[in-house]
Parts: sequence; C-alpha cells; structure tokens
Amino acid sequence: MTTEPESRKNRRAEERGSQTQDEQENTMTAEQPVGDAAELQTRANTIIKVADHETPLRLENITIRYGGERNGAERVSVVEDFGLELGAGEMHCVAGRSGSGKTSILTVSAGLTLPTAGRVFWEDAPLDTMDDDEVADRRRALIGYVDQGGALIEGMSALENVLLPAVPDGEVEQRTEMAKNLLELVGLGKRIKHRPEQLSGGERQRVAIARALILGTRVLVVDEPTASLDRTSANKIIGILKDTTKDGISVLVASHDHELIRVSDSMTELS
Amino acid sequence: MNAVERFIRSRVLLLTATVLIITMALSILVQTGSQAALVKTVDQNSRGLYDILVQAPGKSEDKLMQPDIVTGQGGISFDQLDKIRQMSGTAVAAPISLVSRVTQNLEAPQLRAEDYLGYNQGLVGLQQTSTPGATDGSKWPQPNSVLNDNPTRYRITASATSSDGKTERQLFSTVGEGTLGKAKIVQTTVAGGNSVQIEAPQGESGIKFPSPAGSSTHTLFNANISLPLAPEISESVVAIDPVAEHALLGSAGDFLNPLEKAPPVDGRNAGAIGRFFQEKLSSGMSQEDIQDGPDFLGVRLKYWAPMLMQYEASVRDKQLTPDSQAIPLIVRQGTSLSVKYSVKIEQLDDSGKVVKEIGTVSKDLGSSYVPFVSKSPFVLQWPGGTDHSDLLGATSSFAAGLYDPATWSTQFAAAPQYGSAGTEANGSEKKQANPGDWVTINGLPVRAMDGSTVDQAQRTPVQERSYRKDLARGDAKATPLPMVYGTFDPTQVQKAAGDINRLPLGGYDPVPFTLTKDAQGNGVTPTELKPGLSATGLVSQSAGAITDYYGLAAARGYTKDADVVDAIRVRAKAQGGWREAGGDIAKLADQIRALGLRATIVSGSAREDANIFVPGYSKDSSGADQALGTVQQSWVRQDAAAAVTSSLSGTNIMLLFLALLGATLLTAASTVSYIRKRRGDAGILRAMGWNQKQIRRWVLQEFAVGAAALAAVGLILSLISWNVATVVVSVLVLAIYAAAAWLAVHQLRHKHVVDQEAVDDSRLIAIDSPLTFANRQLKTHRFNTLSLAVAVGVFAAAVGALVSVLVDIPRAAGASALGGVAAASIVLPAIILALAGTAVGMFLTIVTGRFELTAKRDQIGVLNAMGWNPDMLKQVRFFEHALVGLYALPIGVLGAALLGIFLAPYAAVWAGLAGLLAVVVWVPVATRIIR
Repeated sequence: MTTEPESRKNRRAEERGSQTQDEQENTMTAEQPVGDAAELQTRANTIIKVADHETPLRLENITIRYGGERNGAERVSVVEDFGLELGAGEMHCVAGRSGSGKTSILTVSAGLTLPTAGRVFWEDAPLDTMDDDEVADRRRALIGYVDQGGALIEGMSALENVLLPAVPDGEVEQRTEMAKNLLELVGLGKRIKHRPEQLSGGERQRVAIARALILGTRVLVVDEPTASLDRTSANKIIGILKDTTKDGISVLVASHDHELIRVSDSMTELS
Repeated sequence: MNAVERFIRSRVLLLTATVLIITMALSILVQTGSQAALVKTVDQNSRGLYDILVQAPGKSEDKLMQPDIVTGQGGISFDQLDKIRQMSGTAVAAPISLVSRVTQNLEAPQLRAEDYLGYNQGLVGLQQTSTPGATDGSKWPQPNSVLNDNPTRYRITASATSSDGKTERQLFSTVGEGTLGKAKIVQTTVAGGNSVQIEAPQGESGIKFPSPAGSSTHTLFNANISLPLAPEISESVVAIDPVAEHALLGSAGDFLNPLEKAPPVDGRNAGAIGRFFQEKLSSGMSQEDIQDGPDFLGVRLKYWAPMLMQYEASVRDKQLTPDSQAIPLIVRQGTSLSVKYSVKIEQLDDSGKVVKEIGTVSKDLGSSYVPFVSKSPFVLQWPGGTDHSDLLGATSSFAAGLYDPATWSTQFAAAPQYGSAGTEANGSEKKQANPGDWVTINGLPVRAMDGSTVDQAQRTPVQERSYRKDLARGDAKATPLPMVYGTFDPTQVQKAAGDINRLPLGGYDPVPFTLTKDAQGNGVTPTELKPGLSATGLVSQSAGAITDYYGLAAARGYTKDADVVDAIRVRAKAQGGWREAGGDIAKLADQIRALGLRATIVSGSAREDANIFVPGYSKDSSGADQALGTVQQSWVRQDAAAAVTSSLSGTNIMLLFLALLGATLLTAASTVSYIRKRRGDAGILRAMGWNQKQIRRWVLQEFAVGAAALAAVGLILSLISWNVATVVVSVLVLAIYAAAAWLAVHQLRHKHVVDQEAVDDSRLIAIDSPLTFANRQLKTHRFNTLSLAVAVGVFAAAVGALVSVLVDIPRAAGASALGGVAAASIVLPAIILALAGTAVGMFLTIVTGRFELTAKRDQIGVLNAMGWNPDMLKQVRFFEHALVGLYALPIGVLGAALLGIFLAPYAAVWAGLAGLLAVVVWVPVATRIIR
C-alpha cells in the first residue's frame, strides 16, 4: 500500500473533526492490510499505471433522493450531505445496511447517475459541467466500475469481456496481451475463453475487476464484490483489490464484509 | 400465490395474452368491417340504372365491352320490345336507336363594329317602348362609335381552326379589304311624318367577302360585317321512347317531358306545321308568344323561329314533299367540339400598307351553341366596341337561326371497330383501332341564301380519318323538319346515369378518350381528345338531339314491324343490391335470350381502362399515314364486382393468416423469455423437492389462465361477429398458445449436463466495434434474432402484400372500374386495413424485441459503465436492428413479391419494393423506440 501524503492526512483529520458525533462513530480507519494475494504481486507493477493525481475522486455534499411528486409518493432521502475525498492509492469502504445508499454513492461516484444535490469531481473536474460524451470519455480514462455480481456480456468470452472497454478507442489488439495478463493476475489464466455462463460468481467478479483495470484505471469503484461469495473466493477478491492500491489506484468499495472493511484505509458507515 | 396471481405477475405471459387478444380482435374486426364495407360499396355501385343490355343477335361480346355501341344497325323489333316489357320480371325496358347523322352549316359569322348613332326622340322607328325589355330612349347612353367619321381602309383576316385536343388544324383563312366609317342618320319629311335612314359616310366602300358571306351594312347600333361561313359540323340524333326513358332516368329525365307531349304521327306533317307558324307570325303574336314561344298543342315552342326559317328555305329549295314530317327534338346544350373563329383587323393607308393593328378577336364554339337552332354562334365584337342592341329589348326570339336546312344522312357511323392487341403490363386490355376511309370536311353550301352559286374553291377540303364503320341503312331518305321542343344538359344526364352501367347511352353520353402515349410509345401529358367535325372519328360527343321512334320513322322510313331498335336497356323488378337481385336478373336475362336476342347482364360490371393504339390517324406532308399513339378509354368489365369481392376476400384471408403468423412468432419469442425467467424458479422448486410432474403442472396452470382468457374473448368475438372466420382464428390462436405451453414445459425440464467447453474463437469475428459487438449479440441470441427477423420479414411481406392489393384494386375490379365511384369507397377501408396491418406488424415486431428489454438495458448499462459513449451505444442499437433488418430483408422482399404474385400479379414488383421499404423504415423506428 502506498503512503498517504501528510498534508492530505491532516486535511482529512480536520474534516473528521468537523463531522457530527454520529458520523465520527461510523467512520474508522483500517489499520492492517490483508496479504492474501501473494501470487499477484510480482506482475502487477508492470501493467498498472501509477496514478498521478492526489485526489482522483471527490464528493461534495452529495444528497440522493428517490421518488417524486409525479406519482404521488413522498421522496425518499437515501443519502444526505455526504462528502468524501479519495486519495491516490487509498481504499475507502462504504458500509451500511441494505438500502442505506451504498450503491447510490458508487453510481454517483462513477458518473452513472447524477446526485439530487452536491457535486462530484474527478481529478478536480466537476461532472455536472460535462456533457454525456465527456463523462464517458473521462470515465474510460479514470474510472473502473465493477457492478454487484460482476455483470458480464453474454456470448462473449472472459477475454472479450475484459477487452470491451478498449473498443471505443480502437485499442483491442494492443491491449489483448495486457488483458490476458490481467486475467492471469486474477487467477483466470486458464478460463480466458470461457463464457460468463460457464464461470462461477467469484470468477465473474474477478473478470469484471480485470475489465475495470484494462485501461489503466485510477479509481476502481466496486459494488459488493464479496456479497455472494464463499470466504476463499471473497478473500481472493479482497487481495486483488488491496494489491491494486499499491500501484496508486484508488478503490471505492461498497460492502458490509468485515474483512473488506478491515483492509480498507478508511470507511464510512451509512445509517 | 395461485396461478391467476402468478399469471398476472408474470408480465410476459400477461403481455402475450393481451397482444394475442388485441391481434385477434383487430384482425377479426378489420376483416369483418372491411368485408362489410366492401359488400355494401360494391352492392350500391354495381346496380346502375339498368340491369340487362339487350342487343341484336350476333357474336358474343368479350367480358370487356366497348362503349358507344348505339349504331343504327337495329336488329330488335318492336314486337320483341313488347314481349320483353310483358315479362313478369321487367320493370322498365327502354329502347334506343341511332336515327341519323345530320350535317349543318352554322349561321354566317359576323363582326360588329360599334356604330351607335344615338337616340332621336320622336323619330319613327326608334321608340321601342312596345318591345319587352326595351330601355326607355331617354336613358340611352351618349352616341359613340369605334369608326371614324371619314371612311378608313381596313384589312380583315377571318380564319377558323379546330383542335382534336392534341394538334390544332386550320380550316381556312380569308382576307377582305375595304373602307368603313361612322354612319349618320338622315331624316326626311314624308307624308304623314318624318322618316329616318341610316347612311354610310361619303366614300365608304364597305368590306365584302365572297358569297355566301356577304358584305358590311350599317344599322342603328353596329356596322355588321358578314364574315366567311363557319365550317360544317355533324351531329347525331338518337331515338328513344320518352316515357320509358323518363322512367329509366328518373327526375333527371324531366327534360323529356315536352317530347312526351309531341303530336301523334298523323299530326306531324311538316307543311301543315310550317304554315301554322307562318300564319301565327302574319296574324301578330302576343308579348308572351314572343317571349316564350307560341303554344303548339300544349307546348310553347321557344325555338319556333329557326324552324320557320328552315321550313321556308326547304319550301324555296323544294326539298319538302307533301309527306315530309316535322321531327320533335330535344337538343343538346353546348358542344365538346373545338372550333375557334378568329378575326384580325388591320388599318391600312392608301398604298395598302399596315399603319395600325386594331387587334384580333376570336370566339370558340362552346356552351352557347345549340344544334339545329344555333343563333349567331360566332358574333365577334370590334376591339373597343360595345354592342348596344340590347337597348331595343328582347328580340332574340325572332332570330333566324340556321338559314340552311340541315342535311339528314342515314350513312350511319357505327361504333369504332377494334382489334385485340394483347394485355398491358398493368393487366389492362390492349386494343387497336381499325382505320376506315378518309372523310372530307370543311365544305361550303352549294347555294347561298339568295340562291346564288357558291364558289367552292374558297376553301381547301380537310380530311378526317373515320374509325367508324359506315352502315348504309334506311328505307327512305327524307328532309324532315326539325322541331325543337327543348334542350338537355348532357352532364346532367351523365350524372343521373352514374359512372357504372352507362351503356349504351353512348348516343348521348359518350365515354372520353385520353391520349397517353405518342406514336413512338413515349408517355405524354394525358390529354382528352376532342371529337372531329365529321362525327366519324374515334371520338364522339353527346348526341345533338333526341327524338322518339316516330321521328326515327320520319327520318329513315320503316315499316311497322321493322327491327330498328339498336338496344334495349332493361331494369329488373327485383329489389336490393346486385347480389340480392342477381338471381332474378339472371332469370330475366335467360327469358330475353329465349327470344333470340343477346342479353348481357351489366349489373355487377364496372369500368376498366382499355389502351387503344390508333394507327393511320393523319397524313404527313408526303401524304403517308401517321399514327396518333395510344389512347385510353374506360370500357366495361362484366362481373367486375364479383372479381373485386373475391379479390378482397382473398386479401382478408391473407391478412388473417399473416396476423396469425405474427402472433405465432410473438408467442414463440415471449415463451423463450418466460422460460428464462422461470428456469431459476423451477430450480428452486426442484431443490425444495418438487418433481418434474409437479413443476409441469405449476407451469401449465399459469398458461391455463391465459388460455381461459383467450377462449373467453374468442367466444365473445365469435358470438358478436357470427362468422366462421372468427371461430377459426380463435381456435388457431388457442392452438398457438397451447403449443407455447408445451414448449415451456419441455424446456423447463432439468438438465444434468453443464457444458464447460471453452469457446472456439477461431471462427468468431473479433469484437472491436459497435458493429462486431452487435453481430456477436445477435449470434449469441440466435433464437430471438431469428424470431425478430422473421417477425420483421413477415411484417414487410404483409406491407408489400397490402400495397400490391391496393395498387391492384382497380385492375382486379376491371382496371379503373371501382376506381371511380366504388373504388373510392373501397380504397378507404383498404387503406385502413393496410394501416392497421402495418401498425399491428410494427407493434408485434417491437413487442418481440422488447421481451429482451431488461437484458438489453443491463447490457447497455455495463457498456455505459465501461465508458462507451452515448453515440456508440446508439450505434450498437442501430447495428443490431440493421443486422436484423438484413436477415429480414430476403423474407420481407421475397415474401412480399410472392404474395404479390399470388394476390395481385401485376403489382408484384410494387409489393417487393414496399417490402424493402418496410424493412428499411423499420430499422430506424425500432432503434428509436427500443432505447
């Protein structure tokens, strides 16, 4: 794990000081990483770019509400005034009960949905000033999103799924070797030609992570990566995520997996 | 949760059942609705004024009958007419015959130069207070004239042209020169009062054209310049039975009322009638007599003056014999002949040089022309002049009309003779007109009004090609005296007769010809052809006059039992439309045939455009014959209504079939989607200990709910429509649904073997673009792709089939048969049918596509999260639909073409093109809808 710059640490400490008593109780810092992915360590550095921005993801006063007056229902407030600064190489876990807004924060962070209020910054650039094309281009360059359950495209092999993000830039051929390496890294070197329906849940999750990393992502946004996995598979995923942070990749993960919370640099528990 | 709740919550099954019910209801309602509309329309429009056309025995007509068949050939006797009238099924039997062709010279044209000399109060002859409509002298305008006080030299060029609608032909051009000046009133005192005379100015020579034209004369109002005679024109006269004809035409035949009051045969002696009117004139006539015409046996004869003039001319020429009879006529108003008379006026100096163009005035023979009584059809006004003659009041009844007795000829011009020339690409008949002899027109009368001989060299003869066979017929030639009882408006008669079954009113209701191609076969702007002056050309106009059979006898002479009736139009007593009355009409036709006559059932027939090539139409400068080109004329197709009914019934059945096919595909696609959703549930149930039989029952219960709903709706629709087709459709829809249930049960069986073979990607196209991505997706979901492609193909084929039917309706009905009145009504439901079919097809394909919508949305979400921009996502959707369209194209185009060949062979190409267009249009529409 890379070391957090001193200035940012101080700032985050100040921010914590400004939080409410409840928020302070819900936020804790992970102290000890899990080293359950030794087989990945030797080759990761060669294929993952090091992030070059101190705060690749920043959320300011995010409020997310659902529902509306149109159908007569009251608006449900899921997240109120949420803030986060994710430093390079930092792993932050958003924890909380089901329906507490974890996934909402992740989709907002990945620019897939817009918050009701508040702003999202990718490397200090506010998303609300960009059009859809610009968001898509920046997402490709910055954000790797891993859906809950690792949604893969049917009819395409694991390798083809990993290469999909390279299609818009026409870099499929150039990145094929890298994709194979990534699949090797996540332990699927012998399953690269298998289709999603032939893979287990953990394998799909790992393919999705490899896919999220193919373009040299700087922020990995991962939704419940271990939710439906056995402990062994879950630990493999956790190890992969933790290892990515060593190369400066920030990880924002939503989970209530205690192991995952434990290895994270910081966490927010949503009420 | 019970089966009903599961069915409702399983949106796929609910949606499928709903769409099937809608499809079933729509197809049945549209089918029954359009069928009802069709039957009503065809029924209403296929029974015209009469049901059976009776003609003389001869060769059987083709199914396609040529119009204009009143020929003068006769062939039916009055005895046979009486027998037909006595038949129990006959309501009206109206005979018709061609009496004669009548050639007449129009009254001498005049050019009137305003020469208004003014009102001199107190002078004898200028006070017109006793004339009806006369303007009080004190209110007359100031005297005025377009002529100078001093005579001025003018050149007047008179010319006439006629047109066949395509080219204009000059009939003559004649020049007259002389001087004209403003006249003056010379007053002299005579015993008992004053006398006035109108005198030309000193030195005026006047302008004179050769006889029979005449010279210029001054009147109180105008200097009248007599112009060269207008060309001869020929008219036909037909004979009818006024009472029967009136019964046939209904209120539109009211114009025949005076003819019904015409005197009996022993009261028609021409000499006696002529003398009666001479005496009337000499003994003085009342204002009412002058205004409306004198009373003659209960009918006021408005046109007595022209008759009197012709009587006097005939007596002078010794044409009338003691046996000559007057012929009561109802004459046509206006003419469709194109004859134009023009006069160019130039002012000259003493040396004969033109110093001023006064102008050119012209007039067409048009709606004001009335055969036999035409009064001044070509009175032209000097440029800038005004005719003040009306100040003198209504003196028109005294106008002479024709001064030259009409020449009655029994050299009949029969209907045009045609030969078959195959079939056009659109299915319409090709015919060829057979040219006959050349007919010389543009003659002058032998003698002028004053009896002097007319120099025939004034005019160059013009030849017209006759396409009608001359029939030398008639036992006696006579010079009957035309006695005009009234007029008729041919357009009103045509309106009353209707577009269908006008035959054989051709005598006074001819069917127009339209030039469509030139002699080389190149398309030209459609031009309606005009009749020729000789009345023997291809084109004819409405009869010039209608008389009764006594009139026919007077003109042609015949014995009592002569077979002079050309045709009889019989209306059957049977009530209702042609379908209901068909049996009785057929029975009546058989009874008529038993008399040895030809009886053609025209109920249920309709118009059809026949293309006729016209050779030998004119001569070029070297004297060689030149073809006119191809003309189109509306003929009559027998049994067209039955053909239309049968054609559209077939189309409706085809539409039902297509709807069912679409419903099958929809059900198949939805069933696959249902199976995917239920596979997980079945696994859970299996894990809970359910056996295969229990799972099967669980699935079938859900389908049973839908089946019950479909059966209920089918039963209700069947009871409402009371139609076998509805029952068949309902049963078939249920069968489709049952097959889907079987498929679902079969597919939800447990599979023990899981394929773990790696993908062999050596044959796969690498995914490096939205196109290759879309291609892989379609290949992965082959069944869905195939279902959708077939659905789109079927949709396109259906659109093509409908287009072909629409395009072909006129041909199916007999080219343009129901394309007139009836087709207008049939096209509307057909268009609604086509639009409904297209909408249902489009809906089915879109619904089929939407069954995978959730999966598609997830897929798009994944791509979006990976940074694929909106444009690329749109491309993915577009390429998916474009590729489906590509797979659907052969089905759509070939299907449409094949259906076109089956339904409407002549529109198969249109069907194929429509199929292609339907697929092309579907791609962007579906891309836009399925986001």
